[in-house]
Amino acid sequence: MTRALRRVAETLLVLLVLSVLTFLLTSLAPGDPAEEILRRGGVQPTAESVAVLRGELGLDRPLFSRYLRWLLGVLRGDFGRSYADRAPVAAEILSRVPATLRLAGTASLIAVGLAVLVSVRAALRPRALDSRIARVVTVAVAAVPPYIVGILLISVVAVGMRALPTGGDGSPGAVILPAVTLGLAGTATLLRLLRADLAAVARLPFVKLAVAKGLSARRTVMVHALRAAAPGAITAAGVVLAELLAGAVIVETLFAWPGVGQLAVTAIRQRDIPIVQAYVLLTALATVLVLTLADLCVSVADPRVRR
Amino acid sequence: MDRSRRGTRFPISAGTRGGVRPGARAVAVLGVAVLAALAACGGQGSAGQAEGRLVLAAPRDLAAGPEDPYFTHRTLRVWEPLVTLDDEMRPAPALATGWERADRGRRWTFTLRGGVRFSDGTPLTAEAVVANIERFRRIAPRPSAFFSLDAGMEAAYGKLAGVRAEAGKVVFTLAEPVADLPARLADFYSMIQAPSAFGPGGDFTGKPVGTGPYTLASWSKGQQVELAANPGYWGGKPAFDRIVVRTIPDANARVAALRAGEVAGLIDKGALLPGQVAAVAADGRFRVTRTPSVLTHYLTFNASRKPFADPRLREAVDLAIDRKAIAGKLLAGTAAPGSPFLSPVFGALSDPGVRSAYDPAGARRLVDAAGRPARPVSILISSSETGQFPYTDIAEVLRADLEDAGLPARVNVAEATRAVMEAGDYDLFLSAYSVPNGDPDYLFRRFLRSDAAWNRDRNLGYRSDVFDRLIDRAAAAGGADERRELYHGVQRLLADDRPMIPLAYQDNPVVTSTAVTGLVQSPAYLVDLAKLAPSR
Repeated sequence: MTRALRRVAETLLVLLVLSVLTFLLTSLAPGDPAEEILRRGGVQPTAESVAVLRGELGLDRPLFSRYLRWLLGVLRGDFGRSYADRAPVAAEILSRVPATLRLAGTASLIAVGLAVLVSVRAALRPRALDSRIARVVTVAVAAVPPYIVGILLISVVAVGMRALPTGGDGSPGAVILPAVTLGLAGTATLLRLLRADLAAVARLPFVKLAVAKGLSARRTVMVHALRAAAPGAITAAGVVLAELLAGAVIVETLFAWPGVGQLAVTAIRQRDIPIVQAYVLLTALATVLVLTLADLCVSVADPRVRR
Repeated sequence: MDRSRRGTRFPISAGTRGGVRPGARAVAVLGVAVLAALAACGGQGSAGQAEGRLVLAAPRDLAAGPEDPYFTHRTLRVWEPLVTLDDEMRPAPALATGWERADRGRRWTFTLRGGVRFSDGTPLTAEAVVANIERFRRIAPRPSAFFSLDAGMEAAYGKLAGVRAEAGKVVFTLAEPVADLPARLADFYSMIQAPSAFGPGGDFTGKPVGTGPYTLASWSKGQQVELAANPGYWGGKPAFDRIVVRTIPDANARVAALRAGEVAGLIDKGALLPGQVAAVAADGRFRVTRTPSVLTHYLTFNASRKPFADPRLREAVDLAIDRKAIAGKLLAGTAAPGSPFLSPVFGALSDPGVRSAYDPAGARRLVDAAGRPARPVSILISSSETGQFPYTDIAEVLRADLEDAGLPARVNVAEATRAVMEAGDYDLFLSAYSVPNGDPDYLFRRFLRSDAAWNRDRNLGYRSDVFDRLIDRAAAAGGADERRELYHGVQRLLADDRPMIPLAYQDNPVVTSTAVTGLVQSPAYLVDLAKLAPSR
């Protein structure tokens, strides 16, 4: 119980530090939001109208008082209003969360599924041709940025075969290409960890005992070794899921996927700071939550950690 | 070491018995699942153009929502203005069929088109027009995703003393004479919608209610707008019943959607990047339309410090630049080399007598005479502009051109060019300027007049009484000929003084599939969706 409380206190402290960093970094970033907003139509605004808008947005107040106002708002769930279209930021982000979750969820299913599949296969038959190919492909995919993978998938599957849409969220299949792009990026990380873990577990006495008992290779790997390797994999999966949330920014822009990441990119371009701040803070919060959740799962899966 | 390497092999792998291997079976299952999914979502075919329905794409949202002063971009043709611009940026009739000037430009009377109804069925009246103008004046200054109600608004309505309905006509009374009021009101600034569309604060209460050929059927931010043909349109029902404009921000993804047949065209500013045009134009399925735009690439001098306080060195830069290479190669032929300050889209106001020259030897002589600067000159570009145009490459070519002329240079890519310029820490600034309403007074008064905030705060160091007097006279000039002569004089003066020099006049290439005809684009990136029709 005290451990849980300490964990909560730690998390809160992390979030407070995050809020300061988020606010400072976004507010001190170069570029004047008032000017960027007025210039969206492509016309350079006048100094007078920039000054008026700065006053309206409260950008002329001292940094610390802006931070306090913002933090008090955030604690009430009010992230302010978008500089660009004056819509409430919280509602704007909430409306886009489902799309991002659908994308990140599908992507992590793909990442975890592929990683488990390939690593189990590699553990069973390390010398087999498909294991070797999988190894090379994994390294290759890990080395190519998701943007390039996405472009390749678009030109082959969407433009060449016309099997799936190039982007947008107009049909049920539309999630596949962005999710595969995002998922492949996660697979590489996850796969390397899982394979190493499985290999390490394979040397442990209980695995040898299982083999000696006459258990089939499949059963040994799938039931015993995989479970022993699970804690490391779950931690890794948590990190990967957090990575996916971040990676969604690029993939959502490329595939015109109406998620939080796309919103953030547009907001960064326009210096729409309230949205950027909310995005950074909420992504950080999600990451902290996912990692905490992963820790909990590990303690369930691995009795040794429970103490 | 040896053991651990061996350990990567699973010790029991040799024990697998015959039959289907688990890994292989799983791979097969996954493969089948993927294929099934692909098959299920297949058959998109040419969704870009189904019966009576057209799908286009644009780099940004063309609807901005109820808090935006206009809600939708003019391109969507949901609303129409009183006055529009023709392809030479001259005022042309839209909802006003004509206008009359009286009292040397202190009084303007606009005659309205008869028999026009808003999409809610109410008629267009002079009172409705007055309500729109008054709303604009009430809510300005106000940022917009398309056309902020600030400087241009000031140019349009700054001298307005009153506007009223008079026997079915709209009468503007002005405190001072304005010779070109219709041009200043053109397009966005004279948007007319049914007054019932606006709430008391001036925001939209629901959807926009205009008089255009299309109405806004639905809109989802960051994704698409869907338009429905307006059956009661005064100009006749448009060819497509429905038009969808999807938002695809990534340039490569946009072209991919076009190639895949998901969209039948790409429109709006920056629809195709300069580097993409050749490949798309070479594809027989598409027709690329290139029209000159209001965007010009300029090089701005910091003449408030050495070395460019010396006019000889500004001239040297002007002569050293290979504009043909910049327009033809770096901008891939999507731009024309720049000469007069006002680009050809200003029509007769652009002075054809001003010709820029490429003379590297002359540039070297000028540098020798003026003396080489002690330190390299700094070419400033904004990182936000490098996405749409190859500014890093252009700056690099400029650097090489200047070094050939004996001016050592370095390129500075900055995120916040404003701070750098206000600190005076630059010598040359490469950037794009647009004048979407085609009003040269806007450009000169806001940027180059001796008291202009841009000139003053950003250390351009341009002070010329002659220039100030010329642009003041041009703004008040009554006759078109007088005005043209004055602006030609301004451009000759600027070609000598060189506070800013035009490098290239940018086109805006847009594209449709050959199955669609009628794509026309104005210099201000406006496309008339109502003119699009399926080809026979």
